[in-house]
Amino acid sequence: MTRKKREAHKDDARERLRRVLFLVPYAVRHPGIHVRELARKCGISEKQLVEDLDFLLGVGCPPFAPDDFLDVYVEGDRVHVALHQSLSRPPRFTQSEAAALAAAANALGGEGKDRAVQALRESIPADRRESFDELVTRIYAGRPPAPDSILGRLERAIAERRAVRLLYFTESRGAEGERIAHPLTLAQRLGHWYLFAHDPARGRALPFRIDRIRDCTLTDTRFEPPSEAELQRAHLFSETSGEPVRMRLGPLAAARALARPGQVKLVKRTPQGGAVVEMQSSSADWATRYALSFGPDAEVLSPPAARRHFAEAVRRALGRYSRSASPRRSVPTGPTAS
Amino acid sequence: MQKAQRLLDLAAFLLRAVEPVSWREIQDQFPDDYRGSSSEAAIRKFERDKAELLELGIPIRYVVGDDDLPAGYLIDKDEFYLPDLKLPPEDLALLYLAGSAALAQGAFPYARDLAHALNKLSFAARAPGAAESAGLASLQLSASEGVGEGEQAFVASRLEELARAVAAKKRVRLVYAGAERQEPTEREVDPYGLYQNAGAWYLAGWCHLRKDLRTFLLGRIRSLRVNPASPRTPDFKPRRDFSLAEYATRESWEYPLHPPQRCRIRLEPPVSPEARASFGPRARVSEARNGLLVEVEAQNSEALVRHVLSLGDRAELLSPRSLRARAREVLEQLASRCT
Repeated sequence: MTRKKREAHKDDARERLRRVLFLVPYAVRHPGIHVRELARKCGISEKQLVEDLDFLLGVGCPPFAPDDFLDVYVEGDRVHVALHQSLSRPPRFTQSEAAALAAAANALGGEGKDRAVQALRESIPADRRESFDELVTRIYAGRPPAPDSILGRLERAIAERRAVRLLYFTESRGAEGERIAHPLTLAQRLGHWYLFAHDPARGRALPFRIDRIRDCTLTDTRFEPPSEAELQRAHLFSETSGEPVRMRLGPLAAARALARPGQVKLVKRTPQGGAVVEMQSSSADWATRYALSFGPDAEVLSPPAARRHFAEAVRRALGRYSRSASPRRSVPTGPTAS
Repeated sequence: MQKAQRLLDLAAFLLRAVEPVSWREIQDQFPDDYRGSSSEAAIRKFERDKAELLELGIPIRYVVGDDDLPAGYLIDKDEFYLPDLKLPPEDLALLYLAGSAALAQGAFPYARDLAHALNKLSFAARAPGAAESAGLASLQLSASEGVGEGEQAFVASRLEELARAVAAKKRVRLVYAGAERQEPTEREVDPYGLYQNAGAWYLAGWCHLRKDLRTFLLGRIRSLRVNPASPRTPDFKPRRDFSLAEYATRESWEYPLHPPQRCRIRLEPPVSPEARASFGPRARVSEARNGLLVEVEAQNSEALVRHVLSLGDRAELLSPRSLRARAREVLEQLASRCT
């Protein structure tokens, strides 16, 4: 066996152990759980699950009397545990499980962030806590999108299913306004956080960019959450429509843009390392800003409306720089924390 | 016996034991595994198994005997079972939401561990209800289906390998295509940490080629090899003065390319909260008669010019004059191409 294969093999065995340490207690807690559901919960195929259950048949405590074996069986597509051999709850978090969750929590924020990280720390074996402490300082998954107080209130409203009053900045109107929303969840796409909430005034669920929420108050109104099936069909944004925006990037811009996943798709390479790329489901305005973030190294090509939008934005900005800068007197308000 | 099976048997055996189990008893129960050619080899094997179980969250302890208990190994049930985290609902929601959204990104350090952690969370709370279903919804909504899946998988596998190397402090050898160079360079790096900025993941570490702290965009790492020798022995000690957060929160214009330069930018109203926040925590923002005045210190002024341009025509670089001239020059170049 080659070293790579050996490592992969070892890894599979470890993964299987971790899985069964979860699936046995989970099946104990959900007697008669469907094979399909248990497989989905463990992130594996039904075939893999059946293999895991086969593996468990061989597990037992010496001296291997019938009662000493773990007894898990499938009957008519449903999983039952007759003897769990003390595996009625999963083991503690490992340091990397807890550290990954802590890193994610730190990147979202909320008043309970430190409490949650502390609780995670106490849920790993005592002699791994020191290495956990070090590991959490080695992953930084991003800056929280809003002050802890706003996030804390949103998290509480989601957990208690309470309506919130939002002070929200709407980009298209360039103004702040009050909105009532039933917060369903928080989601993240391409580096931005969104509150996904039902807007009773509009009669549908909408995404709200969290960094545009200026304030949030909990109300006493409770709401019924949508069914899981409804949520399964929900989308953060409407389906892609219209032509994608095409851009030409110089060599440096191409290297930068293509090294970041998800933002643009390569159409073709141009001489000297440049590229023509496409951006799906984006407005002409967003594409223009994206192109301008590369300075002279990028331009919007098509469709014609997006090209015109780009040219117009360049012309307007140039207008600003064609006159002299007029510094104005200012009133300091201190460093910004927003 | 298969190792996975042996480990599980051992765990089940010790969990069921009412009092500490002596080494001799363990050997009796697992004669094929712990009764090898030499007793030293058998003990080493047992110690390795013990370490692996600990890595899975299962601590085996050796207790020195006293009048009441014999000496031996045990798994303390309180130390074994995942306890109730006893968190208020909003904190539980924080963990579910943050973890689910991170997992849905497709690339996150210890992504597999994160999936396990989220599963286990349902055992660590008395009534996860609303938080758990909000987590499921977040997972579904955050998944960026269809967008650059190939690249995502590429970054995800690099991230997985590097996360392990960071935890074990193992040196890595990488071939890196820097933006400023056409030719990729090969270098050895002590991986100190991983950070995400604007949706992209970076490695920060000590670069043996440049003899300095450097950051590497994961998407530009062409090949990667983690030192395979002695996987449990660290290769390096991170420098004491290193702070990952400091690197991770650095804005593009704060990368030191030239001496610091004080720059002023005017934002014309209405100013969106994210435009204001986009200058980072070190910017000084004051209210002017006609909008907001932002002051930052730039050490890479070209990056600042680009950032200001990307905010659209409601943002304007006021000073220094050289930067204003540069913004104008860039816009003139673009304008000439658009006619």
